[in-house]
Amino acid sequence: MKIEVLKENLKNGLCVVERIVGKNLSLPILDNVLINTEDNFLSLSSTDLEAAIKFWILVKIIKKGKAVVPAKLLSNFVSLLPNEKVILEEKNQSLTIECKNFKNQIQGFNPEEFPIIPEFNNLEYLEVDNEKLCYGLSQIVDIASPSQSRPEISGIYFIFSKNIVKIAATDSFRLAEKSITMEGVSAKGDVSFILPQKPAREIINILSGKEGRVKIYFSPSQTIFELPMKEIQHPAVQITSRLIEGEYPNYEEIIPKKFKTKLTLRRDEFLNQIKAAALFSGKINEVKISVSAGAKEVEISSKDYDVGESHSNISAKIEGEAIETSFNYKFLVDGLLNIKSSEVIFELSKEDGACILKPVGDASYIYVVMPIKAT
Amino acid sequence: MNNSELWQSVLAQMQFHISKANFATWFKNTEIISKKEEKIIISVPNAFSKEWLSNKYNKLILKILHDTDESIKDLDFIIEPQLKGLLIKSNNIENEKTEDAQLKFDEFKINKETNLNPRYTFDNFVVGSFNELAHAAALAVADNPGLTYNPLFIYGGTGLGKTHLMQAVGNKISDRLKKEKVKYISSEKFVSAIVSAIRTNSMESFKASLAPIDVLILDDIQFIAGKNKSQEEFFHVFNSLYEKNKQIILSSDRPPNAIPELEERLRSRFEGGMIADVSLPDYETRLVILKTKTKEKGVDLPEEILEYIATNVKKNIRELEGALNKLLVSSKLNQTIDLETTKKLLKGFIFSPFDVANYKKIIETVAKFYNLDEKSLFDATRKKEIVRPRQIAMFLLRKELKYSFPAIARKFGGKDHTTAIYAYKKILQENEENNRLTEELNLIKQRIYSG
Repeated sequence: MKIEVLKENLKNGLCVVERIVGKNLSLPILDNVLINTEDNFLSLSSTDLEAAIKFWILVKIIKKGKAVVPAKLLSNFVSLLPNEKVILEEKNQSLTIECKNFKNQIQGFNPEEFPIIPEFNNLEYLEVDNEKLCYGLSQIVDIASPSQSRPEISGIYFIFSKNIVKIAATDSFRLAEKSITMEGVSAKGDVSFILPQKPAREIINILSGKEGRVKIYFSPSQTIFELPMKEIQHPAVQITSRLIEGEYPNYEEIIPKKFKTKLTLRRDEFLNQIKAAALFSGKINEVKISVSAGAKEVEISSKDYDVGESHSNISAKIEGEAIETSFNYKFLVDGLLNIKSSEVIFELSKEDGACILKPVGDASYIYVVMPIKAT
Repeated sequence: MNNSELWQSVLAQMQFHISKANFATWFKNTEIISKKEEKIIISVPNAFSKEWLSNKYNKLILKILHDTDESIKDLDFIIEPQLKGLLIKSNNIENEKTEDAQLKFDEFKINKETNLNPRYTFDNFVVGSFNELAHAAALAVADNPGLTYNPLFIYGGTGLGKTHLMQAVGNKISDRLKKEKVKYISSEKFVSAIVSAIRTNSMESFKASLAPIDVLILDDIQFIAGKNKSQEEFFHVFNSLYEKNKQIILSSDRPPNAIPELEERLRSRFEGGMIADVSLPDYETRLVILKTKTKEKGVDLPEEILEYIATNVKKNIRELEGALNKLLVSSKLNQTIDLETTKKLLKGFIFSPFDVANYKKIIETVAKFYNLDEKSLFDATRKKEIVRPRQIAMFLLRKELKYSFPAIARKFGGKDHTTAIYAYKKILQENEENNRLTEELNLIKQRIYSG
């Protein structure tokens, strides 16, 4: 193999594919990146056997071939090179890198040893605007929590229905749901899958800030998220992931429909007061939200025998009855940080029931949180 | 040679051909799942293993298989994630966790197919004299669904373990025979499903969805009272299941003959199987329940505290658990729990009959029990369906609250006090003669004191 490539392009590609490369003691081949030539493209692939990333770069190919070299080493080295043309040449499993004043050689492995990234033939796909997807995912992804006991809720649930894709995640204490309108064709019937959390994070990291539409392909056990190149009709990057088996719980039942009290609050002020109360919240992170009958303000308080106590008031539009409910402040902060509007709606339901945080003027996001048992 | 032996011999030989790391990575969780004539199908845990095995080792595996068994000429791989092992482990992990103050979405614990909550089993059901009949009947049904007692009808006040018992039956049946389909539905959901089926004109598909069920569990069936269309549809569902010897289990807060506005044909069907009641647990049983709960949660509370709770929290089992939970939460915050702090913490739970039974409560409960408006109890009317509840309300005011007859008469719109005396005497006398009335009175009293 021998190719010519721009350093900047190569560096970008390596930064993307090295994301899922870790130290793998049982199968050291996974520490490597597979460099391959396809038509006029150089492809870079990496995998951790759960997910795989493939990145294409338009290059000048002098001789076709493949190479497998340690990903971190190559990436670190390439980032130090001057911004010039780089020549990569593979001979006897070792890769020679030439760039201006540098000439280096990296010892590689047999490309035949590299895992084969599974492909599937389902050519149907659904399209979503990339920035919307990345933003929506970022509002959701941290809610899921790795759970050995409930593998199905450790991932991010995608459900495509007509021209809407809903993504949801939960850790059984809280749940977030985001709706995104799809571009192009609508889904045929309802399609759904559960994406593990790690690749979901990678999708955000790799794709955010890039324009275009993401194509989502799926089979019963796998999914591919693919972003095309801007210039030509060819994928620029593909993230393949296994899916989590199992049936996602019927989460829509969790979202309460009736409320006792509805508060409309200024987000920044609310967040600030919760953070202040959090400092006095003690071991179980308990912060109490109280609304008394006929009041125009909401009281936020916390108390710890060792530290002291905190009381603050925030003006709010209050509808409904008087109520007193306690929350783990972390859960409220997480929800508020994912909401960017200047005002938030906080709906409190009956005692020990689920409550809802949502932005004012944006129906696409909803955050459901369970309180702390009333004591 | 069976499939697993065959695959073992393949694995044994594969070890010699590939590196240890490769062997561990690619052959983990693989097995032969079927052997049809010349073709072997091997299940692999994920798509990567499938690609690797079918591209790299296909020939080698086939050769070894062919050497062992000459009839084998073809090989295929399918992806079959290893879920079952994981799930069994997981249940144990969950149980070890102690109760926390932070609440969770309850819906997630529920099995999606059957709607059963796996937490409810016979093992953690405490049996005492107050529920042994219901327990024995439930066990018999679980052992022999559809044949012994059909339908099984369990009734009793709130928070006494009806749901626990019914779900335990469901869990036992669905654990034992995987082929039997169990479905637990609360009557409220059942009614709303019927309503939405009517609205969307999909009654047929709703019925079809219930047809394959082997065990149908309907909780709080009294909600169906007064909903005529729902009763009619339920009647058909009931019949079609009953004819096929499918088990039906129902619960209610009162016996079938005390459910108002229930169609006669349904009532007689409910009474056609086994009717068992659960009532309030006695002191000893309450203590046993507390001990079971503390053991479940992995905490240790001194005997005197448990005894204090058992003596003083008498309303129902749910209350008992609530009191215990409250103690546990505060024990996490400020460590030591002694009798004094217990007394302070449980103030709200402590049962005092003078607080609980009051005028308002009696009127409210009686009106609710007979499906009447509170106001209509005071109407100047002699309609039979109002006179009787009114007499019962007067009787209870006298008997439970020791109201004077003139006071009772005043409360009921300035009637003469002799009316109140007459009502009291009439109910008192009938109470001795009429079993059904006794039953009703007991249920109303139970509700007054447990609400």
